[in-house]
Amino acid sequence: MELSACFSLAWLTLRRNGLRSALTLLGITIGVGAVLTMVAVGNGARASIEDQVAAAGMNVITVTAGNYKMKGEDAGGGVVDHQASLVEPWEERADDGTRLLDEPVRTRQGLGRAERTWRRVSRPAPRRVAWSPAVFYPQRGEVTFTLVGHPEDDPMEKHNHPTSRERLGDSAAGLGAAATLTRDDSKAIRDQVKGVQYVAAGVHESARVVLDDRRWFTRLHGTESDMPRIRRTWSLTHGRFFNDAESNRGEQVIVLGSVVYAKLFPDGKTDPTGVTVTIWNQPFKVVGVLASTTWTSSGNVGDDEFDAVYVPLGAVHRLLNLSKLNTITVTSKSAAETTRVSKDVTALLRARHKIAEAAPDDFVVKTQASSALGKGINPQVARAIAGNVPGLESVTLEQLSQTMERSSRTMTALLASVASVSLLVGGIGIMNVMLLSVTERTREIGIRMALGARARDVMLQFMAEAVTLSLTGGVIGVAVGMVAAGSVRQMLKWATIVSPGAVFIAVGVAAAVGIFFGLYPARQASRLDPIEALRFE
Amino acid sequence: MAPLISLQDLTKTYTVGEVAVHALRGVSLDIDAGEFTSIVGPSGSGKSTCMHILGCLDRPTTGRYLLEGKDVSQLTRDELARVRNHKIGFVFQSFNLLPRTSALENVELPMLYTGTKVAPAERHRRARAALASVGLENRMDHFPNQLSGGQQQRVAIARALMTEPPILLADEPTGNLDSRTSVEVMEIFQRLRMERGITIILITHDHEIAEYGSRVVSFKDGHVVSDSKNETWREASRELADMPLVTA
Repeated sequence: MELSACFSLAWLTLRRNGLRSALTLLGITIGVGAVLTMVAVGNGARASIEDQVAAAGMNVITVTAGNYKMKGEDAGGGVVDHQASLVEPWEERADDGTRLLDEPVRTRQGLGRAERTWRRVSRPAPRRVAWSPAVFYPQRGEVTFTLVGHPEDDPMEKHNHPTSRERLGDSAAGLGAAATLTRDDSKAIRDQVKGVQYVAAGVHESARVVLDDRRWFTRLHGTESDMPRIRRTWSLTHGRFFNDAESNRGEQVIVLGSVVYAKLFPDGKTDPTGVTVTIWNQPFKVVGVLASTTWTSSGNVGDDEFDAVYVPLGAVHRLLNLSKLNTITVTSKSAAETTRVSKDVTALLRARHKIAEAAPDDFVVKTQASSALGKGINPQVARAIAGNVPGLESVTLEQLSQTMERSSRTMTALLASVASVSLLVGGIGIMNVMLLSVTERTREIGIRMALGARARDVMLQFMAEAVTLSLTGGVIGVAVGMVAAGSVRQMLKWATIVSPGAVFIAVGVAAAVGIFFGLYPARQASRLDPIEALRFE
Repeated sequence: MAPLISLQDLTKTYTVGEVAVHALRGVSLDIDAGEFTSIVGPSGSGKSTCMHILGCLDRPTTGRYLLEGKDVSQLTRDELARVRNHKIGFVFQSFNLLPRTSALENVELPMLYTGTKVAPAERHRRARAALASVGLENRMDHFPNQLSGGQQQRVAIARALMTEPPILLADEPTGNLDSRTSVEVMEIFQRLRMERGITIILITHDHEIAEYGSRVVSFKDGHVVSDSKNETWREASRELADMPLVTA
């Protein structure tokens, strides 16, 4: 007998015994439904924990160009000679304006000190960006500064620093020798490192944002469209972040931080989207306003995230004649994998930059776990740390997130054991009914055998009935579970996630229960002697 | 021509507890294609055991059973099931229709086990034709408990003919029927034999019913005690014509 015929026959037979079939599959239904609900609640809880962990930035890895840790401690391993390791292309200028650069020439042994030779090359002069001194020095002469320490330590003075003012390309764009990261590096991280979720390359400048007679000197981040997905605490009070297309084309669009918005639109009500602001005498169309969702990092003047503007990286590169990056921001898919991903990123960049074994990195990889303890993290997480951990300093956020994942695993194991018990009971119910049915239908089995049914036909028929029972129970159970999960979400406001995987497994397990507990009754049926079965009253 | 069925020195011994029961003690019997053989005998004579072996429901202890020249006495259970499906149609005393299953579905039953794929539409078509041939074209969707005994037996005959077997094996087919319907069933058997050349083996304890056969074999104590051609077999169709339509 064909399988499809078996199942349609089983369906008919079960329909004829409607009430009994319904009561039998109730066990499986309740089991599957309860399990699915609990898994949904568990998943929801885990997801919200992971959300909070991610919001706290535990999975964020920041790669910064250049490395100030030159003396070898914690800089790529081993004590390294500063002089030997740093590639320093000194810059000179020829009479015609072209730059004369010393570039290291690669030799057989790579870039080791002993083999290094230099080659003088000339590079075309970078295009100058149009400047308006009126924009940059509106109050010149009205303010006097008292310098303390090194002139470059002064935050106000920094903006007027010659390297910043001239904007002469990468080596002069505040990066100098630290201009080591490229967009290709960022692409390589995205494509080659396993477990990477989002990658956003960044160039960070300072700029004066001008709107009519209002102006505000602030941080300007040239970044990519994935950035709001990395910064989980961001929300957009107006408009949107710039999208992939705008990012890729480097359009002159801009997202204002809440502080900048407040300064440029003092009434606080105007919708700024569509308004054009000016930076570097260039028009930028406002597409959105960015604000914080947490009180820990709300926008204050001087804040790097919200006293800032965001424009596509390509636009900054084009307008300032740059090609290198200051930072690459990476997130790992799982908070627990952050360390592994950061190590992979380090290894990849070292390989790409062809850094010799003993030489230090020419970049710095930082994870939030290593640097952000206590800084701008989610209040719940902060409370969890403060309340539960005795040796606070010794615990990293990553360890905390691992603890959370462990506890959710425990929860899952608990659910699984509840699941197996309820499915076991449901399965025994099916077996019981099937055994009863075999006895009841002995004569039918005899008739079928007399008419030519082989042992396996009979077996298949009863297996099909058991599996149909349990599968139907499972499918109804899935529906019940979804409804239950939905009402938990509605009434208790708990996060619930019914994952397709859980549904698939629930139905699969139900079918497996049917097969397992249908096997014995079906075997009993198939072993009947046709003569005896025909005589059965 | 080799006989359709050839039983050669069959014995069958059951052990019930410590006691060995010899149900058949050496039976030899040849049945040609197209014969209408009645097997008679009192209960315990071995005729039922013989019927089970003839119907491939059971295997003999010793001896050979040649069906169409092939020895089927030592086949496996599954092989016997195949033979039953293709070669033998069963008609039982108690009809043995599946309850809560329509006449049409009952008739279709053997088609499920032929081992070759038959489209449902083809199955329905053949089942309808079979039911029509026994005069039940108007009762196809009735359940067995909505049919009279005679109608149920006719459904059973239609079912037995579904796979077009050469042999029809009837075990006390009239035991639960009144006299007129018994004759009706005999009329169907005789017609099948005449029109389609089906070999009919009728097991009964009723000598009057046995008289419809063209040959009568008597069993007693596990032996064949008499085996004779019955040239003067009763003709059911003629008797039916003489019978009143409504029986008392």
